[in-house]
Amino acid sequence: MIIAGIDCGAKNTKTVILKEGSIIGKGTTLTGFDQVSAIKGSLDAALKDAGIHARDVDNISGTGAGMEEIKDADLKVNEIKAMAKAANYLFPSARTVTDVGAEMGRAAKIDENGKAVDFAINEKCAAGAGAFIEAMARALEVKLEEMGPMAIQSNKSIPMNAQCAIFAESEVVGLIHGKIPKVDISKAIHDAMASRVVSMIRRIGVNEDIVMIGGCGLNPGFVDSLKNQLEIDKVYIPDDPAFGAALGAAVVLKEEA
Amino acid sequence: MARYPTEPLKCWAKAKELRDGFYRDFEQAHDKGGIRCIGSAWALDAVTMGLGGDVYWVTGEPYGASCAYNRSLSAEFMTAAENFGFSRDLCSYMRNYWGSIISNKYPFGGPFPKVDFAYTQHICCSHAKWYQNACELEGSDIPLYVIDVGAGAYPPFEPEMYEHRVRYVADQMLDSIEWMEKVTGRTYNDELFLEACWNDMRTTHTWAKVCMLNRAVPAPLDEKSIYSLYVLGTLQKSRGEFADFYEELLEEVEGRVERGIAAVGNEQARVMTDAQPPWGFLKIYRYLEAWGAVSIGSLYTFGLEGMWLYDEGENDLRPRPMPTERPRSREEACMMLADWHLSKPEYQHFYSPEYKTKMMDAIAKRWMCDGIIMHYNRGCEGLSVGIAENRLGLLKRGNKVMTYEGNMGDEREFDLTATETRFDIFLEGLGLKRPEG
Amino acid sequence: MIEKFQEWYANRHEYQREYKERTGNKIVGYFCTYTPEEIFYAADVLPVRILGSHEPQDVTEPHIFSMFCPFCRDVLAQGLKGKYDYLDGITIGQSCLHLRQTFTSWELHRNPGWSYFLHMPNHVQSKRAIPFLVEEYRLLIKKIEELAGKEITDDDLRQGIDIMNKVRRVMKEIYEFRKKDNPPITGTEAMYMTCAQFFTDAREFLPVAEEVKRGLTARRLDRDQGKRIMLIGSENDDIEYINMIETLGERESVGCTVVVEEHCTTTRYFWDEVDTDIDDPLRAIAERYVLRTPCPSKDWPKRSRLQRILKLAKDFRVDGAIIIQQKFCDPHEADIPFIRRFLEDNGIPTYFLEFDVTVAAGPFAIRTEAFLETLEAEEDLF
Repeated sequence: MIIAGIDCGAKNTKTVILKEGSIIGKGTTLTGFDQVSAIKGSLDAALKDAGIHARDVDNISGTGAGMEEIKDADLKVNEIKAMAKAANYLFPSARTVTDVGAEMGRAAKIDENGKAVDFAINEKCAAGAGAFIEAMARALEVKLEEMGPMAIQSNKSIPMNAQCAIFAESEVVGLIHGKIPKVDISKAIHDAMASRVVSMIRRIGVNEDIVMIGGCGLNPGFVDSLKNQLEIDKVYIPDDPAFGAALGAAVVLKEEA
Repeated sequence: MARYPTEPLKCWAKAKELRDGFYRDFEQAHDKGGIRCIGSAWALDAVTMGLGGDVYWVTGEPYGASCAYNRSLSAEFMTAAENFGFSRDLCSYMRNYWGSIISNKYPFGGPFPKVDFAYTQHICCSHAKWYQNACELEGSDIPLYVIDVGAGAYPPFEPEMYEHRVRYVADQMLDSIEWMEKVTGRTYNDELFLEACWNDMRTTHTWAKVCMLNRAVPAPLDEKSIYSLYVLGTLQKSRGEFADFYEELLEEVEGRVERGIAAVGNEQARVMTDAQPPWGFLKIYRYLEAWGAVSIGSLYTFGLEGMWLYDEGENDLRPRPMPTERPRSREEACMMLADWHLSKPEYQHFYSPEYKTKMMDAIAKRWMCDGIIMHYNRGCEGLSVGIAENRLGLLKRGNKVMTYEGNMGDEREFDLTATETRFDIFLEGLGLKRPEG
Repeated sequence: MIEKFQEWYANRHEYQREYKERTGNKIVGYFCTYTPEEIFYAADVLPVRILGSHEPQDVTEPHIFSMFCPFCRDVLAQGLKGKYDYLDGITIGQSCLHLRQTFTSWELHRNPGWSYFLHMPNHVQSKRAIPFLVEEYRLLIKKIEELAGKEITDDDLRQGIDIMNKVRRVMKEIYEFRKKDNPPITGTEAMYMTCAQFFTDAREFLPVAEEVKRGLTARRLDRDQGKRIMLIGSENDDIEYINMIETLGERESVGCTVVVEEHCTTTRYFWDEVDTDIDDPLRAIAERYVLRTPCPSKDWPKRSRLQRILKLAKDFRVDGAIIIQQKFCDPHEADIPFIRRFLEDNGIPTYFLEFDVTVAAGPFAIRTEAFLETLEAEEDLF
């Protein structure tokens, strides 16, 4: 059986093709304003990557903020269920999973079957999601992808309070004027954001093993800050963390089929 | 897909009529030579009734909720309060109330009726400040009396109900009688007070008995309807016609239970909530119903005005029995009323979140709830105190809990879509199926 | 001259740990200044107030809903992080809802084995408050006796009163110097002193404070006092901010000196003494806490703070007042619009700042400077 799992997120739409339980293809596009074409675009890319045709797909499963737009979906899976299953599929020992994407952070406490038993969502504040780093990168005038690598060069700890992205930006400006090196400011930014995410995770409890999915998993600076603040040695991150929810949606459909 | 028979409440229209009459009486109080009084829904309003049968009340919390229900009017009140210099994170009932005075608008029509005096109680930090500021905003000649009820938790949460604690509250009530005589120029009538005191206990006792009936499956009442009924207790506990109405309601709900009448025909799962809902968005309850979930109530709707006692050994919450005899003197009535109200379930968590957790857990178990929905209400510090610990404590006791953030009276702090998404996740986790369409 | 206070402020834990070892006395942490320290001293138990650390933290989210003030969360973080594991007990005198959660969460998750919630009455303007509080003190005493392992006598209570009154008196004498032109002690220094009271044994604090008092007579500070500023508001020990505005004059055209504050870390805490003419020491203590300069959560039906604030402003000859409010502090938020109007009506310009204990003070510099400039402009009018 071939399943396409599609995660229509706020920034990117991701698709994972699952064949008999194994990943055979992935595709991603910017979501933009036109969710329908983004969904098609990411599906097409994934099909191409897998080397199959649309007709070969038996079922489609959707998740993400824009899941209502996935008209062909046979199943719609809520984001918490999707991330819980993805974590369980990738790392069966996972008991906590967090998904940190562009606009939102989520965390779930899961059991050995990948069922979410408690969850938390940070939906109102950009300071706990990827968009925060992006905004701060603009303030620092560095490229987004440089932010993480810069942060891990610093061993300074400058307290910064990311209660709000707007105030954080004025703090960053203050640090720039104070001639603080950019690497240290970058670390402060990542620490501040991680602190928001860790606060959210602490709400459901820190139970190892901890899995992280979502685009921010690619940012070494953020992952470093996260580990430090959780006071743990290892956070399990898949190779393509951004595809976590799409994979989870596909796995849910496979199990329910 | 109704599984149970359902029918509307017969006394529904009467509840609405009583409520409308209450607000109208306040508005027209001066035409009849009566007295207008404001204060908290927890004020010991019975004490004011000794001034005569023509003391007409408005209570701040339901008043603020009524403002919030009218979202455009509420927005105007909020802006007025903010422009005066009040912070946006203060109690949203209070800001609606102050905004209504500043804008000189009464949500039931006409200008804000000027009051004769304010008479309230204090346990939340905002209670006394609310009326202190309201009196000042209306013109500093408005007299204010506040009774401090922050005298300690009631057994079993404290080893005993120390006499000096009850006396502290009762003595303030006695002092307030002399004060009222002075500010109104009227002579106090003890007989009227004794009657009002008994009515207060009758209202709050009967309400608890009504809520007990919701243990039945299917639940005869859903929380959205409960809101329209419990409100009478919050308007004026000591009003005889409200006490009578609750007795009538009790009878009707008993009949519903006997006949197996459900509030929600499609009851598949039972949930309970925690505190005030976002009043401008009561449709969230319809959303739950579409999933087959009925909200059977909360410590808030049961115990804001209803009087209960918690049984530690049984982990049960039961209506506090009426005193065996009526009070015979002013002093006796003050002591009786003070003791009665100090046992109010919604007073207990002001001393420790554990007390509330225990009572909520008892509701979850005894009313057979599958899940608990908690509103992290940015609009009320008093009922949000300890809420995060309540959540942890309820999880520890094996309950399924979800939270959403919002504000009971300031719609700017509530996100309907995000909340519905949380409901979806939670209800699916309870084993319910997403409704068709 | 204030180095010792700075040291106590910075190394409060070291002091308290060392104190415990040295004296063998027990230490109880308290959260609000409505805790009757006299009674603890009477039992040979050291009461220490727990303040925050001003550092961002991520441990309190599961315990306190984020609409409560950053101060109460910062204080709880100290407990959850184990910084106070040497305490023998914790206590609170009932005051605001915010801080009460710090106490209850600490009690649930870091219980040192002894904890007590004192039912400090809210209706302090009622004649019923004092007799009620006396009875509550009797319950508290029983509980402290269990901790201390000794009976508390009236003489012990008088001893406790004496200890606290002496410190209050010397603090007020030191504040007298701040009424002078070019005060010989800055607001920053004064804040170190007032906070050091919370962290130390009053008997060890006293001789150091006395020495400071003697030294102030001859002390001259090589700085321009600039505008004389009063701080009013909620809990505040933000020394970084005070130092920043007091050094503005070194960098900018305007400067200032904080000459007096109305905070629970300063005058609201120490201004009022226990009346030793009252025979019953317990009643005397109760009277002191009921009649002291109130927290706004207890200041009703009359807003008595207004006159007290105005008196301080006049006695210390202030040019303007900065109203500092801890973010989400409801009792202060309910008072502030009226305090501002009242002071403005009495010719004292005010400026409002909403503080978050864990946010850097930097952004407040420009705003404070702008306020000081408006004070300058007002003078030009005459």
